[in-house]
Amino acid sequence: MGQKWREGPVTEMHQNKQDDAAFEDLLMPLLDVSYGMAFHLARNREEAEDLVQETAVLAFRAFHTFQRGTNFKAWLFKILLNCFRTQCRKRKREPTFIPLEDAAELYLFKQDVSIQARGTGANPAAIVISKMREEQIRAAIGALPEEYQMVCILYFMEELAYQEIAEALGCPVGTVRSRLHRGRRMLQRALWDVTEAYQMIPGTGVQSEAML
Amino acid sequence: MKPVDIYTCEETFRRLEDYVDRELSEEESKRVEEHLEICAACTAEFEFQKEIIDAVRVRMQRIQTPPSLHGKVLDALRQARQESSR
Repeated sequence: MGQKWREGPVTEMHQNKQDDAAFEDLLMPLLDVSYGMAFHLARNREEAEDLVQETAVLAFRAFHTFQRGTNFKAWLFKILLNCFRTQCRKRKREPTFIPLEDAAELYLFKQDVSIQARGTGANPAAIVISKMREEQIRAAIGALPEEYQMVCILYFMEELAYQEIAEALGCPVGTVRSRLHRGRRMLQRALWDVTEAYQMIPGTGVQSEAML
Repeated sequence: MKPVDIYTCEETFRRLEDYVDRELSEEESKRVEEHLEICAACTAEFEFQKEIIDAVRVRMQRIQTPPSLHGKVLDALRQARQESSR
């Protein structure tokens, strides 16, 4: 992993073994969910591992700023997200955007109803859900603009409440609600694009099983 | 007898996502439920939304943490501690 995390400031607090133990007690149970989130962001196992390690060290160095009794998970996720943004800037990774104007209200639902009306005899939405692969869903979420992607990851993966997402992202609950609403619309569009690309819906393409 | 203050389809639709997410007040949730009991269209939308959310959540939670990660993090923290004590 990179060396940047070694350059942080030294504080006396870090030398306190009790604080070190307290920090590890809070951090270690969250490693799995942190890795899951890092993987969804980076979409690469090696980068995700680096991201978690770097986040752990940054959190350790900043632990004296953590207010006891507040939400450590939200605090840690905030560091992880900032860390990811920094990595993106370094790697000059450009997100792929889905035009919001193309994502109508209940996009996937309307496609679902439309196809059912053609009399295929199947429930396309159920097929989409049951046959979509993990990486296809991750790709759909990964294609969302960053602010929507972050909210969707915290919402879908961590099942955080709006208030917890707001704490992790440092924004008002109302912003979370509106981003989640728009994010879900965009995600429906993105999921539908995947189903079309892989011809997963009977009646819309040639094959539904071959690509899965 | 039909309740006088039951939500309309529009009022229900506006609250469906918050209802799925259990972010509504008890009173609002109750009124959404009352509407869903008598409206097949809104119920279909609700079930569709919930199905999508549940399916995405199930698939997104399958990530397996590499067994070596715990050790790597502890090593990184040990190194950070040594550097901070110099």
